[in-house]
Amino acid sequence: MSGLKAGAPFQHSGRNIAQLMQTLLYALLPGIFASLWFFGFGILINIAISISFAVIAEAAMLRLRNRDIRSHLSDRSALVTALLFAIAIPPGSPWWLVALGIVFAVVIVKHLYGGLGHNPFNPAMCGYAMLLLAFPLEMTGWHIPNEVINGPLIVDNLGIPTITPEREFLSPLSWSGFKQALLLAFPFAASGAIDISEFIDGLAMATPLIEFKMAGKSAIFAARESGASLFATGSETAWEIINIGYLFGGLFLLYKKIISWHIPLAIIATVFVLAALFYAPGSVAIYGTPYLHLFGSATMIGAFFIATDPVSAATTRPGKLVYGIIIGVSIYSIRVWGSYLDSIAFAVLFGNFCAPILDQYCRPRIFGHGLRGKSERSRSNEAPIKP
Amino acid sequence: MSTLKQLAVRFFNSDPIFARRTVGGIQPHPFKERSLRSRIMSTPIPQQLTIPIGAEGSGEITLLVDIGDQVRKYQKLAVLNMSVEGCSDVPVHAPTSGVITSIENLIVADHSEQQQLCISLAADGHDEALQLEPHTNYSQLSSADIVSLIRDAGVIGMGGAGFPTADKLSIYGESAIEFLIINAAECEPYITADESLLRERADRVVLGAEILKQASAARRCIIAIEDTKLDAIAALKQALQNEMSLDQTCELVLIPSKYPAGSERQLIQCVTGSEIATGQHPTDNGIVMHNVGTAYAAYEAVVEGKPCISRFTTLCGQALKTPKNFEVLIGTATGFLFELCGIEASLEQRIIVGGSLMGSQLGSDKAAICKTTNCLIAASAIEFPTPEAEQACIRCGFCADACPSNLLPQQLFAFSKTLDTTQLLEHGLLDCIECGACDYVCPSHIPLVSIYKESKKLIETRSQSLERSDYWQQRFQFRQYRVKKEKDQALSRKPDASLKPKLAAEQAVKTPKDEQGFISKEQASRDIAAAVARVKARRNEKNK
Repeated sequence: MSGLKAGAPFQHSGRNIAQLMQTLLYALLPGIFASLWFFGFGILINIAISISFAVIAEAAMLRLRNRDIRSHLSDRSALVTALLFAIAIPPGSPWWLVALGIVFAVVIVKHLYGGLGHNPFNPAMCGYAMLLLAFPLEMTGWHIPNEVINGPLIVDNLGIPTITPEREFLSPLSWSGFKQALLLAFPFAASGAIDISEFIDGLAMATPLIEFKMAGKSAIFAARESGASLFATGSETAWEIINIGYLFGGLFLLYKKIISWHIPLAIIATVFVLAALFYAPGSVAIYGTPYLHLFGSATMIGAFFIATDPVSAATTRPGKLVYGIIIGVSIYSIRVWGSYLDSIAFAVLFGNFCAPILDQYCRPRIFGHGLRGKSERSRSNEAPIKP
Repeated sequence: MSTLKQLAVRFFNSDPIFARRTVGGIQPHPFKERSLRSRIMSTPIPQQLTIPIGAEGSGEITLLVDIGDQVRKYQKLAVLNMSVEGCSDVPVHAPTSGVITSIENLIVADHSEQQQLCISLAADGHDEALQLEPHTNYSQLSSADIVSLIRDAGVIGMGGAGFPTADKLSIYGESAIEFLIINAAECEPYITADESLLRERADRVVLGAEILKQASAARRCIIAIEDTKLDAIAALKQALQNEMSLDQTCELVLIPSKYPAGSERQLIQCVTGSEIATGQHPTDNGIVMHNVGTAYAAYEAVVEGKPCISRFTTLCGQALKTPKNFEVLIGTATGFLFELCGIEASLEQRIIVGGSLMGSQLGSDKAAICKTTNCLIAASAIEFPTPEAEQACIRCGFCADACPSNLLPQQLFAFSKTLDTTQLLEHGLLDCIECGACDYVCPSHIPLVSIYKESKKLIETRSQSLERSDYWQQRFQFRQYRVKKEKDQALSRKPDASLKPKLAAEQAVKTPKDEQGFISKEQASRDIAAAVARVKARRNEKNK
């Protein structure tokens, strides 16, 4: 009888943290598949490195903290952190970059603050921000296989690359693409035998929004803002599809009631409204269209998967709305006026800073509270109409 | 024709009531179907009855019988005067005839897990009853008459709170009651007592509701039931139709099925739309609520003149072969009922009194059914398995979405861990109704309700010790003040005593004082100057 629950309630919904995390992992899949399709095996290699190091670091920290390794590892929270981190890192990054970031995230940001449930900041985004500060060059280039870029590109009238038999060899999912991704991740493997330059002839490309920003800043392509697509490399459609993938994943999470609608909606609405207000077509100061802001960068994954990390986010419903607005404003400001290229990580961390105070001051009205005026009125109205 | 007219009146003269949305709530699996397969069964008279009177400290108990007395059915055994404000005497009656064998403190099938003073009665099997006094034409009775009949019958709130019904009807009789709500929500899993009662005896419940309406002088009577209880709804509709031909009106409101829809304040908001402020009583807002079982007991008390000696109790759980609802005599041992259902001892793991979300574990199978025992669950090991290991709170907020009081259970949990009573009060811990919805949804399997109960106790002890320390501080300060005052008086008296006492007395009389009895500043300086002059004069005299 010792293990039985002594007090009510005796019935339970049966949900547990592992299930929540598992669902979150499933919800990430569409976006990951889309990234895989467009950016090749680099993203898979990132995920593999990230997950292995996350699990090792988590187990080591649990051991040091005298916690039961098995039960804590099975909550899958380390997996979620690893996955979110891996898909934020540009594919084709060297292995040590990924490893350093995830170990920093798990050891310092998560466990040194008390482990699951106690970290004030989002571990994956802290790891990302640390890397961005320490290795800005490595963190801003999105490598995709050489031949996809340099080969002929066939685009249909919707702007989506068509998969014709002639084009099949151009897919980043080819064998050579895999080899290249491996070489990028593990440079030491290319010990003389292979000519690296054959593969890594250097296409580093950022998200369309970043390209847009660079273009806007340098004003080189400003004139081409309308008309011909600025992103003829296919990157535009790629990010669109990836964002739509994450959007679907996020809607799935909403449907499963893993996350509430408050944070994603607040972020997306804020970014949309700001982008719409500041959008000035044809002017030299280019802020980008609302569509570009929502689908041209990591907005969807940020809104649905990263900002909704419950541990570091605001937890009250009104607080979540304000939290989302703060993050939305930060995303837009950093993107447009800031000097950093990607803004999700810093915006979310800034939101994390605000979360405790939001929880304290943005509280829902307790049932039966704050009615004094109303109840007094009703009392005085209470005329004795007893029959 | 009259039915049509009634319908027309109801449609055009009174505003129809629609259930409103309430915050929070969960939809747990109800587990009600097994016990609803059988009809209500009246239990045979057990050989031994243990009739609970009241817990020690719950009030003043007056015993009307002694050990060895022969009693008859319906005879008054004792009177409990609860020490709760506004409670009057509640009599307890003999459920059958027999001999009193003992009077002692025993465990009863109750949430409180407290021992109660119980009268043990050895039934003689004759079931000799006192003559009852029926009042079939209750509509002729005055409100006060009905209340006194209900009081004499010992009817208390059958939903679980156990507040004397007569007092609920009469205390607030002076403020006009707009709504009488009959609570048939019965939202907690496993419990089907009210549902089966409505299914089989809806007409009597409706009459009971009429009686309560008449007694509380309520303008409208609403029966609120969850929209999933189809059999009970059908029976109620039939009963209301029959009743309508008698020119009386109760209204039926279907409320969405969720837990805790049957909680008093939540149900009031759902049905009437008014939110009862914390610290206020529903009657302050012209609303009074009674349980279905109470309405039935009121019917019996008034129309049949029968005291409250039985109640409807659900017996369920996987360890029972045929779970069902019983009309059970107060004082029956739980073990007796389990045997009637056929208990599989190999499956039984523990017995829970109440539902699965707010119930409490019962230590003994000899515990007696009391007037508030609505459900007994003989749970198997699969039914309520050992909970998963507690994990850290990840602040997912599921609990906040589930909370019917719109609290923030995750924050309350954090403040409970740090024993921060100020923040706990600020975050409304005392508004927690301990429904267990937060606990039910928690993915970290944190026993939140138990933690809140501990925190409430902590707050209580802290406020008590604070009160005590305040009291002693006041006493100490008063003592210091008194000592100082005495010293001052002694000092000021000394010269007076050396002087002529008469003069001092005269001075005291002469000295004009303001309303508070204080001497004004100017007066004081004048007095001082006069005193100095006197001393100088005396010195001069001495020197001369």
